[in-house]
Amino acid sequence: MLKAAHIAKSYPTPRGELTILTDVSIELRRGEALAIMGPSGSGKSTLLYILGALEPPSRGTLSLDGIDPYSLGEREQAAFRNRHVGFVFQDHSLLPQCSVLENVLAPTLVAPPGERGATEDDSRARELLAQVGLSGRLDHRPGELSGGEKQRAAIARALIREPSLLLCDEPTGNLDRASADGVAELLLDLHVHRQTILVVVTHSAALAGRFPTRCEMSGGTLVAAPVNR
Amino acid sequence: MTLSRLLQRTATFHWRTNLAVVCGVAAAVSVLAGALLVGDSVRGSLREIALGRLGRTDTVVSSTGFFRDGIQDDVRGALGAAATAPLVVANGFVTHEPSGRQAGTVLVYGVDERFWRFHGLEPPGGDVFVSPPLATEIGAAEGDVLLTRLQRPSEIPVESLFGRKDEIGRTVRLTLSGVLPAGSLGEFAVSPQQAGVRALFAPLRRIQRDLGVGDQINTVLVSGGGSSAAALRPALRLEDFGVRVTVGADPPAVVVESASGIVSEALEDAVRKAGDRLQLAPIPVFTYLANTIRIGDRHIPYSLITATDLGRLRAEPASGEAVRESAAAGAGGSPPAPDTIVLNTWAARELEATPGDRVEIDYYLWDPAAGLQDRTAAFTLSTIVAMHGFAADRRLAPDYPGITDTDNLVDWDPPFPVDLSRIRPRDEQYWDDFRATPKAFIAYSRGRELWQSRYGSLTSIWFDVPAGAQPSEVRRRVEAELRALLEPRSAGITIHAARAAALESATGATDFGEYFTYFSFFLVVSALLLTVLFFRLGVEGRLRQIAILRASGYTIATIRRLLLGEALVLAVAGALVGVLGAILYGRIIVHGLTTWWVGAIGTTLLRLHVSPLSLAAGAAGGVAAAAICVAFSLRAVGRLTPRALLSAQSVDPPASADPGRARRNRLLAAGLGALGAALLSLGFLRPGAQAGAFFGAGAAFLVASLLYLSAWLRARGARPIGGRGTWAVSRLGFRGAAFRPARSVLSAALIASAAFIIVAVEAFRRGGGDLTTDPKSGTGGYVLVAQSELPLLHNPNEPAGREALLLRAPELADARFARFRVREGQDASCLNLYRPENPTIIAPEAGFIERGRFTFSASLAGSDAERANPWLLLDRPREDGTIPVVADGTSLQYVLHARVGDTLSVDVGGDEPLVLRFVGALRDSVLQGELIMSERNFLAHFPQEQGYRYFLIEKPGIDSTGEAEAFAGIVERELQPFGLDAVATTTRLEEFHRVENTYLSTFQALGGLGLLLGTVGLGTVMFRNVLERRRELALLRAVGYDVRSVSTMILAEATLLLGAGLGAGAACAAVAIAPAWLGRGGALPGSGLLLLVAAVVAAGMLSSAVAARAALRGPVLAGLRSE
Repeated sequence: MLKAAHIAKSYPTPRGELTILTDVSIELRRGEALAIMGPSGSGKSTLLYILGALEPPSRGTLSLDGIDPYSLGEREQAAFRNRHVGFVFQDHSLLPQCSVLENVLAPTLVAPPGERGATEDDSRARELLAQVGLSGRLDHRPGELSGGEKQRAAIARALIREPSLLLCDEPTGNLDRASADGVAELLLDLHVHRQTILVVVTHSAALAGRFPTRCEMSGGTLVAAPVNR
Repeated sequence: MTLSRLLQRTATFHWRTNLAVVCGVAAAVSVLAGALLVGDSVRGSLREIALGRLGRTDTVVSSTGFFRDGIQDDVRGALGAAATAPLVVANGFVTHEPSGRQAGTVLVYGVDERFWRFHGLEPPGGDVFVSPPLATEIGAAEGDVLLTRLQRPSEIPVESLFGRKDEIGRTVRLTLSGVLPAGSLGEFAVSPQQAGVRALFAPLRRIQRDLGVGDQINTVLVSGGGSSAAALRPALRLEDFGVRVTVGADPPAVVVESASGIVSEALEDAVRKAGDRLQLAPIPVFTYLANTIRIGDRHIPYSLITATDLGRLRAEPASGEAVRESAAAGAGGSPPAPDTIVLNTWAARELEATPGDRVEIDYYLWDPAAGLQDRTAAFTLSTIVAMHGFAADRRLAPDYPGITDTDNLVDWDPPFPVDLSRIRPRDEQYWDDFRATPKAFIAYSRGRELWQSRYGSLTSIWFDVPAGAQPSEVRRRVEAELRALLEPRSAGITIHAARAAALESATGATDFGEYFTYFSFFLVVSALLLTVLFFRLGVEGRLRQIAILRASGYTIATIRRLLLGEALVLAVAGALVGVLGAILYGRIIVHGLTTWWVGAIGTTLLRLHVSPLSLAAGAAGGVAAAAICVAFSLRAVGRLTPRALLSAQSVDPPASADPGRARRNRLLAAGLGALGAALLSLGFLRPGAQAGAFFGAGAAFLVASLLYLSAWLRARGARPIGGRGTWAVSRLGFRGAAFRPARSVLSAALIASAAFIIVAVEAFRRGGGDLTTDPKSGTGGYVLVAQSELPLLHNPNEPAGREALLLRAPELADARFARFRVREGQDASCLNLYRPENPTIIAPEAGFIERGRFTFSASLAGSDAERANPWLLLDRPREDGTIPVVADGTSLQYVLHARVGDTLSVDVGGDEPLVLRFVGALRDSVLQGELIMSERNFLAHFPQEQGYRYFLIEKPGIDSTGEAEAFAGIVERELQPFGLDAVATTTRLEEFHRVENTYLSTFQALGGLGLLLGTVGLGTVMFRNVLERRRELALLRAVGYDVRSVSTMILAEATLLLGAGLGAGAACAAVAIAPAWLGRGGALPGSGLLLLVAAVVAAGMLSSAVAARAALRGPVLAGLRSE
C-alpha cells in the first residue's frame, strides 16, 4: 500500500522559499491506478519523484508497504527503489550503448545476489519484452527503435524487478497518437495483470481518461479531477 | 554590439572552461619554453665555467719541454698581445701526508706574482694553494703537508737508451697556505671541463728548482693579440727549439745539435734544407756508446763510436802517425764496405789491431716492449786513424748527463747498467786526455741501421766552413735559416686559442634544449590535448547557442573565426602565464640535473639562464600548436547542421553514426597484426634487421590493438550483460566506453603510445654487466682499465720490466698489461658535457691490434681480414693523408656527432690541424673517452709523448667486479709511484651507462609526467562522457543504482581505457624491445618503471573518480531533469 500523508515541498531561492507542494495526501492499494494532471510547474513531477523515493519531501510522510524510504540510508534507499519502484519517463532514458535486452536487464545488475538468478532475469526480460511486443528487437540498440518502441522497452525495464509501485512521468508525451494509445494500453494491461500500484503524471486528457481515478494538481495540493476531463 | 565585443562577452561568460584552456596552454608553453631554457642553461653554465676558469687568458703558448724565462716578452711582441705571464704547468698527483689520501690528475702550477697580476688579481698571501675540489677530496687544510709527485723533465727522451727511466718522478714536499676559491682563480684551467678542477699553485722558483729546470718555463699565458703559429715564430729562438749551433776552429766546422742529444727528423730536415740553401754539404754524425770493442780476447770497455761519412776521416791530414788503410776502406775513392770500421790510434794500440781484423762491438738497445737489449755487431777494420782534427773532435759526442759530464770514467752514472770494474787505468787515462772522444768510426748508413730510434738517427750535423769564409758568419746564416725552417710544433711548442676553443666547446656535445624538448614531448602533447578537450568542452556546452547564431544568419566561417579568435586570446593569455611557468619548469629541471639526475651532467655548477628568445620561441610554439589543435577540432562543428546543433550534446559522432566502421577497423587490425607478425618473423630470420623489424612489429601491433579496441567498442552481438554485483555493473561500465568510441580510443591511444615509448626506453637501460673474459665484450675481456700520471717505460709483462718497476706482489705475476700511449686531450665520452675539440688519443703497443678484441658496430673494412678484425684499419695508410682512428660508437654518435667515415680536425698547435678519419666504431666499450690510433701514427705525430700511461689489464681467475676492484687496489699500490688509478672495467662501463641511464630516467620521468597529465585528460573525457550521460546515470539511480554502483561503473570504464592503453602500449613495446632486452640478459625492468605504471594507474583512477564524483554530485532529480 502506498501511503503519502501531508506531503509538502519547497525550494530555497534568492527571493525566498518557493513552495511547490503544500499538502498532498494519497493512499493507493495494490491494483489501484491514479492519473495526475495539471499545468506545467504545478508540481506533479515533483510529487512523482517524492513518491518514488527520489526526492525527500520538506514535510509529510511516505510509506510503501509499510516502509518509509526516507528513513533509509543512501544505499538502502537505492535498494528500495530497485526492489519496489519502477519508473517510466517521458524521455525513455535508455542506455544507447546497450541493447534492448540489456537495457531491460540493467536494474537486475544491482539486485541483491540471493534473490533470483541471472538466467531467470534473462528469461523474465525476454518474457517482458515479448509482452511489450519487442521480442524481435532484443539485440537492437535504442537508436534503432521508434519512439513508441523505446517507451515500451522502458516499461519493460520498469517492470523487470516486479515493483509494487510503477511511476510514469508523461509516458506518452513524446509519442504520436497511435503510439501513445499503444503505450497507454500496455501500461494499463500490465498494471491489471501484475496488480501494481500505478501512478501516471500526464498532460494528456486522453491518457488520463483511461484511468479510473484522476486527480489534478492545483495550488500545491491534489484535488479530484472533473469527471468530464 | 560588434563581433569583437561578442567574442569578449562570450569569453568572459564561459570563464570557467576558458580558465581551464588558459591553464592547458600555460602548461604546454611552460614545458616547451622550459625545455629550451634548460638548453640555454647548460650552454650558458658551461660557458661561464670555462671562461671563469680562464681568467684573462686568451691564448696559451706551451711546450712539451721547457723554454727560457723571458720568452713571454718576445711572445707579447710577436702576437701583439696586451699581457703575458710565464708559468710552469705539470700534471701530477698529490698525497695528503696527514691522512694519506691521494688525488690524481692534479694540475700543478708553478706561478709567481706575474701570474696573478696578469689576471688583474693581487697575489694571495702565502706560497701554496689548492683549489676547493682538491682540498675537499683529500681533506687538506692550512699547514698540512702535501706530497706532490711530478714527472721529472728531461731533455733526453726517456725512451731512448740515454733517458733516465728509473727516476722519472720527483716528489715535491709543499706546505699548504690555504684554499683558493674559484672566484680567485683557484680552479684555473685552460682546458674546459665541467667537473671541479683539482689544482695546486706553488711558487714558480720552487717548482723550477725541484724539477731542475733552472729558470725555464713551459707555458706562457697570453691576453689579447693573435693566436697563429706563424705569428708566434718570430718570438722563438733556436734555444727554445732545443737546438744548439756551435762553431769550432779545428777543423773549422759549424755543428748543429739538439739539447736532447739526438737530432729529430724534423730538425734533420730543416738542417739539410738549410745546407741546401747555403750550399753547404751536411756531414751526418751519429755517436753511440759501445759497451765493448773487441778483437779476439782483447777489448776496450765503454767507448763511444761515431757513425759518419768515413771519407771525412780520410780527408784528415795525418801527422805523426801514418794512417794505415786496408782495401776495405775503399781505396781510390770508392765507398767503404758496410762493415768497415775505423779505429783511432789509441784503440788500435789497445786492441793490437791491424787492418783486416774482425772487430766486434757490443752495445745496448732500448726496446719499448722488451726493455734493454744486448746486441753485437761485427766489422772489419779498414783504417787506423790519427787522433787529429775531425777524428779527435770531442764535439762528436753529445752531452749525456751522468756520462760526458763526469771527471772520471768510474764516476759514470748512466741510466743503464755498467760494470765499472771493467774500467782499467788506461781507460781512465784516455778519459783524462780525450774525454768522450770516439775511439772508432763506422759508416753512417751502418750506424743508422744499428742505432736509429723513433727520435732520430743523428747526434749532430756538421758543415765544413768553406775556405775563406768566416765560421761565425756561416754559423749566423745557418741559425737564420733554421729559425725560418723549424716548425714550432716539431719541437713540441704549440699555440692554443684557449678562449675561442672554450667558447666553441661550451656549445656542448649535447644539445640539452633539444633533448629536453624530446623528453617533454608527452608532457607538451598531454597539455595540448587537455587544452583541446577543455576548449571542446566549452564549445559543446554552447552548441545550442551556435545553432542560434547560425539560425540568425552567421556563416559557419564566421562562427569558426569567432571561436578561433576566442581560442587565440585564451592561448596568448595562457602563453603569458606559461612564460612564468617556463622559468619555474627550467628551474626545476636545472635543480633536477644538479641533484636527482646529476649523473647525466656530472656537475653541480649548472645555473638557470633565462633567454628571452627561448621564452618567445616556446610561447609562440605553444600558441601555434594550441591554435592548430583547436582549429582542427572546430572542423567538426561545421559538419553539424543548425538543427543537429540544437539537440547535439557533442561534436563527436556516436558509434551508431557509422555502423560499418567496426568491421573495417577489425579488418585493418587484422592486416596490421599480420604485418607485425611478418616483421617479427623477419627479425628472427635476419638478425641484422632485428632492431628495425622488432620495433616496426611493435608499432604495427600497437596500432592494430587500438583498431581492435575501436572495433570491439563498436561491436554488436557481444554476450549480453547480465548477472549480479560489481562485475556485472563493471561490464555495464565497459559498455559505456562505447558511448563515444572515437573519444575513448583517443584517450587509450594517448596512454598506449606514452606507455609504449616509456616501456621501450627501458630496454635501452644498460647495466654494468657481469665481469667477463669474452674478448668480444665491451670490456675486451680485460678486468681493469688504468691510467697513470707518470709514464711506465718498463714492460710490466716481462720479468725484467716487473723487476725494474719494483712490482713485488705475486698477484701481478700472471697479469697481462695491454699498454697504450696517451696524448692528453678532452674526454670524448658522455661524461664530458663540452664538445671535445681535441679528444684524448691513445695508441696501443704492438700486438694489441692483432688480437682483435672488442666488437665493432661499424667500420670501413674493405677486405675479409679487416672485416674479421677491423683494428687492422688503423695500420692501413690512407691515400687522402688522413690518420685512421677508432672511436666508441656511442661517443661517436652522441658526443662527437660523427659517423664512421667522417673526419675530425684536431688542433695540434700548428698551422695545420691533424685530420683524423673514423675507420671504425666500437660497440658499447670501455674505450668511450678516447680515440684509438695506431702506435706508428701516434709516434709520428706526437713524438714528444713518452711511454705508456693507459692500460687494459687482464688477469686469470677474476670472476666478479668485487674481485676486480680488490685487484685494482693491489695494482694501484704497486704502481703508486706512477700515480696509477685503476678501476674494474665493469665499473667503468657502469659509469658510462649511468649517464645513458640517467638520460633514460629523465625521459621516463618527464614522459611519465606527461602520461600522468594524459590521465587527467582521460579524467576530462570521463567527466565529459558522464555529463553527457547524466540523464541516463540519473535513471540508473532511479532504478536502484546507489552512488557506489554508478561510480563503479564509471571507474570500470576508465579502467578499461587505462588498462587497454597501458596494456597495449606495454605489451607491444615488449615485442619491440625483445631482442634488445634478451641481448641484455633479459633482466626484469627496474622498480622505477613499475612504480611509474602504478602511479599512472593510480592517477588515472583518481582523475576518473573525481570526474565521477563531480558528475554525481547533486540530487538525482536534477539529472533526470537534465538541469
